[in-house]
Amino acid sequence: MSRASVRRAARALEQRLLTLVAALTAVVLLVLFYYPVATVFADAVLADGRLTIEPIAAVLTSEFYLVDIIWFTAKQAFYSTLASLALGLPAAWLFARFEFRGRETLRSLTILPFVMPSIMVAIGFVATFGRNGTLNRALSAVGLPPVELLFTLEAIVVAHAFYNAPLVARVVTAAWESVDARTVETARSLGASPRRAFRDVVLPQLLPSIGVGATLTFIFTFASFPIVLALGGFQLATIEVFVYSRVRDLAYAEAASLAVVETAVSITLTAVYLRYEASQRSAGGAANPLPRRAVLPSDWTPKSALRTVGIAGYALVVGLVFVVPIASMIIASVTGGDGGFTLANYAFLAERQATGASFQVKPLPAILNSLAFAAGTLVIAVPMGVTMAVLTTRRYRGRGLIDVLSMAPFAVSGIVVGLGLLRGLVFGVDVLGTRIRVTGALAIVAAHAVGAYPFVTRNVAPLFARLDGRLVESARSLGATRTRALVDIELPLVWTGVVAGAAFAVAISIGEFDSTIILAEGAGSYTMPVAVERFLGRRLGPATAMGCLLLLVTSASFLVVDRFGGRWGEL
Amino acid sequence: MRRRSFLKAAGAGGVSALLAGCAGTGGEETTTEASGDATETTATTHGTTAGGESPTLTVGTYGSFVDAPSSSPGPWLKEAFESEFDATLAWQTPDSGVNYYIERALRGVESGADLYVGLDAQMLVRIDENLDGALFSPAAGLSRLGDVNEQLNFDPQGRAVPYDTGYISLVYDETYGDGDSEFVAPETFDGLLESEYAGALLAQNPTSSATGQAFLLHTIDAKGEDGYLDYWASLKENDVRVLGNWEDSYNAYSNGEAPMVVSYSTDQVYAAESGEDMVRHQIRFLNDQGYANPEGMAPFADASNPDLAAEFMDFMLRPEVQAEIAVRNVQFPATTTAELPEEFAQYAREPPEAVTFSYDRLQNNLSDWTDAWAREFASK
Repeated sequence: MSRASVRRAARALEQRLLTLVAALTAVVLLVLFYYPVATVFADAVLADGRLTIEPIAAVLTSEFYLVDIIWFTAKQAFYSTLASLALGLPAAWLFARFEFRGRETLRSLTILPFVMPSIMVAIGFVATFGRNGTLNRALSAVGLPPVELLFTLEAIVVAHAFYNAPLVARVVTAAWESVDARTVETARSLGASPRRAFRDVVLPQLLPSIGVGATLTFIFTFASFPIVLALGGFQLATIEVFVYSRVRDLAYAEAASLAVVETAVSITLTAVYLRYEASQRSAGGAANPLPRRAVLPSDWTPKSALRTVGIAGYALVVGLVFVVPIASMIIASVTGGDGGFTLANYAFLAERQATGASFQVKPLPAILNSLAFAAGTLVIAVPMGVTMAVLTTRRYRGRGLIDVLSMAPFAVSGIVVGLGLLRGLVFGVDVLGTRIRVTGALAIVAAHAVGAYPFVTRNVAPLFARLDGRLVESARSLGATRTRALVDIELPLVWTGVVAGAAFAVAISIGEFDSTIILAEGAGSYTMPVAVERFLGRRLGPATAMGCLLLLVTSASFLVVDRFGGRWGEL
Repeated sequence: MRRRSFLKAAGAGGVSALLAGCAGTGGEETTTEASGDATETTATTHGTTAGGESPTLTVGTYGSFVDAPSSSPGPWLKEAFESEFDATLAWQTPDSGVNYYIERALRGVESGADLYVGLDAQMLVRIDENLDGALFSPAAGLSRLGDVNEQLNFDPQGRAVPYDTGYISLVYDETYGDGDSEFVAPETFDGLLESEYAGALLAQNPTSSATGQAFLLHTIDAKGEDGYLDYWASLKENDVRVLGNWEDSYNAYSNGEAPMVVSYSTDQVYAAESGEDMVRHQIRFLNDQGYANPEGMAPFADASNPDLAAEFMDFMLRPEVQAEIAVRNVQFPATTTAELPEEFAQYAREPPEAVTFSYDRLQNNLSDWTDAWAREFASK
């Protein structure tokens, strides 16, 4: 083949690459999401092979489900969203606008809550907010009465903020860092006060990211389940608690109907948010981030002193909600039955690694599997997510529908997806007389990518929307293919969003439990969260030790992802 | 009923298709997707009887039976069984337990295992209420069936044979409180309603946890079908905490959130092992009763090695194996012939009176009782 024909072929591939990735995305979604979920949702609308609305109508006419469960679930999700914003936005401000030692590292570590198994969070929260917890001991040390926080709605809300405030912080930080400083300078030079410049120039550029953080937090906490029962109790049961218990009781029509209602709420909210996001077309341009300042002001004015006090107070709250629970888990992993220091739990992990049977979970393979699956997820989810972001920021008929459908993996109950994967992939589908089953490592990676790519899309799409369309048009009029324009022009401009999305993709993969355990082929493809669950026993020690390994490995990989991702973007 | 027959009809097509698909592979479980991740467990799956190789007995069970951090009978059983029988034992531990096999049957997929270890009466009721066909069938020719303590037999159709049993009780902490006087748990169910025990009990969600389910059934036994919901309303009033699972509640108990937790009457065996103080692990049998929850094993109706499965079940009932299972699973033996080590007998407590619902009482009632409880307790 001549060099010219190779170039022609490469160009042809380049021209069709976006379409190709979009088609692949559709196939992956269909096989690993839409088809499996359909096998479950069918139970809500089919009886004896005929369409029926009876099961869904039964849920929608039940006062118990409507008021005690669904309305309550929405209420706690709303409070959780407010708490996550209150805790996450100041962090975004600090990360985007201040310079302090360890800022990059700290920012990388904000991903940790995302990967934490709920039992670990429960252990940390009981040790922090319980009757004999750190908070109450601190209160009694300064002569204040104890607070009873556990087994209340407040405990659930704080735990939800623990999981979701970092999400808000990360998404908003990425947007804040891509605010063009020149737009603010222009406003200021035209006489706007700093406050006015923030309100009229910066805030409009942040709102889509705040919106995405709030929407996702609401959707995630709307479907929350283990943490609700661990820290609240069954009297505060949410809709997902009932989906789970109906599935366990094999009452599939009722379970599916509840899940359909749950999904409808989440999808509607997603659609409302996406309409809003699409309407935001604020000015933007080349990344030229706002300058950072020191946390401790160089000259003390009443205003700067107030700011410093505020930051200190915020740091105290962060310490209580994030640092103390995580520290408590680490302490629990080195505490023995008699309350003294012990390394027995880590010795257990070493022993299990050395002598465990083939059908038992071993720590090292779990770590390696987690890392391999995360790498695989990264490689698949980033192109999927970026492609969907490109597609959903173009204007065409039916775009809204595609946009919402591509976000659906967020809106469907994890229990339903798990059951669907079991029915659709593990048991297999009959195609032309052959039963096709899809399990093992590839299936796990693909399932993780399905759960992860919407994060990439949501981090990147708002930045794409802000790009000046003329940039791409000029590139294309100069002969660049669409793919070339994307890689050379647009991606560098939205790189902060790509890195932010990639970090989420890795976190989703490392923290994923439901699909992993269903698609795993025996103990050989188990991951770290599965190992944590398997090591739970009468003593919580071994599980907490495995949980600490999970934290350690995740922290290390995030420092690498963020550093490497950041550098790459600067090239 | 209508849903069930639909599923069955849908399943029938699946079965024939499945047989066609399997014809070329000698009945082995295969994965069409090239996963590049063949593990030892998948290498030794179900039904490799062809070609004169030693057969593989595939045993489904729950995770902690083979892979608990403290001790579990699985590894010992596999080694002992394989050293004597010319067979390979492969454990299968699906995350949803027996529901995984029910789900397979509902979708018309073969069970893929020879027998299941870890059944209880509640699961059998769930199976029989949801499946028209038989998932399990009685094992033929068991020689040691007569050794099983008759009171533990929970399957009127003789499919499930008990191999161990446990009692659900309260575990309480004498040191709880301000230190003036030691904490003493109430002796009766009514005692739990007194104001001094407000917020003092941690229990588990009966729709997802075995201990929680047993405790709920015990209250139904004590207060009657007509009285248990009122009793639970009073318990809720007295701030009983129903958490998601046993781990959640035991963690809260260990951290001093409450002085009592619903747990197993063998709690002190673990406490002795990890050197904990026994005053913090006192056992209380409410109304002098413990709810017995025997665990059983049964061969799948479509087992490819039914004879080997029966041999395994007989093996499980041997006196020395019974003792090993009891100690390693921290439960009581199911046979009258087992001899337990002294240390175990010292810390494992049995109630003065064991109560349990028979299969017949649970049938057609269990899910109604649980649903009614859930709606009562989750009403805001």
